[in-house]
Amino acid sequence: MAPNSPHQSNASAAPPNDLGAVIEQERLPAGREALPEPLVAHSQRERILNSMARSCAAKGYGATTIADVCEPAGVSRATFYELFKDKEDCFHAAMELALAEAMGRIVAVYSPDKPWAAMVRDAAATFLELLATRPGFARMALVEAPSSGQRAFELYASGKRVLQSLLERGRDDPVEEQAIPSSAGRAALSAAESLIVGQILAGNTARLGELLPDIVYITMVPYLGQEEALRQAREAERAVAPTDG
Amino acid sequence: MIARSQRERLLEAAVRVVAEKGYGAATVADLTREAGISRTTFYAMFDDKEACFLAAYDNVAEALMRRVAKAYEGEERWPDRARAGLAALLGALAEEPAIARLALVDVGAAGPAAQRRYRAALQRLTPLFEEGRDFAPGGRSLPANTSRMAIGAVAGLIADELAEGRAEYLPGLLSDLLFATLVPYIGPAAATREVGGNE
Repeated sequence: MAPNSPHQSNASAAPPNDLGAVIEQERLPAGREALPEPLVAHSQRERILNSMARSCAAKGYGATTIADVCEPAGVSRATFYELFKDKEDCFHAAMELALAEAMGRIVAVYSPDKPWAAMVRDAAATFLELLATRPGFARMALVEAPSSGQRAFELYASGKRVLQSLLERGRDDPVEEQAIPSSAGRAALSAAESLIVGQILAGNTARLGELLPDIVYITMVPYLGQEEALRQAREAERAVAPTDG
Repeated sequence: MIARSQRERLLEAAVRVVAEKGYGAATVADLTREAGISRTTFYAMFDDKEACFLAAYDNVAEALMRRVAKAYEGEERWPDRARAGLAALLGALAEEPAIARLALVDVGAAGPAAQRRYRAALQRLTPLFEEGRDFAPGGRSLPANTSRMAIGAVAGLIADELAEGRAEYLPGLLSDLLFATLVPYIGPAAATREVGGNE
């Protein structure tokens, strides 16, 4: 009944500095970093998956019907049921594809040579940018998946564990063990997630990038202290300052 | 008066039914049966299952908030107020695991309106967290979203525990929740001292 623990299987067997191994351990499909935007739908299957993501963004998973998915994709119901067992199966496949792409991009940010703070900032910026430009994915991954059945929840939880590993591992100084609780990273991610979901539900998905300084602050403060986390946040703020005006 | 007590019975029944069957599976018939009222009476009070659930949700959130606020106001220093409020919250949730799950986990499945209700309930904690700004030496320079994020951290840690069916262990989360509450306002060193100081 209870979903998989979001924190007990903490990918602890993977060596530090090897996010790829963490992702593999979470059994996520390989990343597809090279996908153009929007996802090119070569196949009926991909058109259906895109259509599912768009419908989730427009009206939510609960209200989405098979017709909502089939019509914009230009496929028949019969084709839909050849490819997917049901709506949930289709949602799961869409979430899996999108998550694989997101994780691919996050991994591309990761490098053992990069300072921890720069890596966290770049990963957060990449993630926010991805969400802002793909509202379907944003809605699916952070609003619908956590509450749309066990399989989708597990995908969501595995994505979260990857981000948690990114935050907790690969510190330059293997945490000068300030006796902070082991849940500090998970708490910081929940804090960031809550802020992001609030903006998505308020219809501000396109402006998620503006949250970068706050997310930099909340994810770094347990590890670096207030002064340095604020400095990092100010630096991030300069990076996201409007350049189009 | 009779209408009022029927309404209360119905709201309590809605919490029990949804906690037991899940929001999706619960029907208006389940609610009326559990509450011992007729369908006609139900529809005189609410348009549909969702409206009834949202009213029930507000009731639960209201009761939780009252307990938290009372404990919080019983202390002086902000970190002590935060500790007391969090302890009261955890105590209340541990007493009623079904309600706790409903309030923090299952609410996500009840649609966008319920999700907004959940977020609105959480935001009612904002003034309690924002006092951290006055307490913290550099409080004014902290990000505007600090309280939202700290509240999100607390809710997330509780929801993780509930999702694993560990409601009875919730009171054991107090140190982690207190750290998550304090750290954005006073930093890790001071937060660690506060967490350890009163144990």
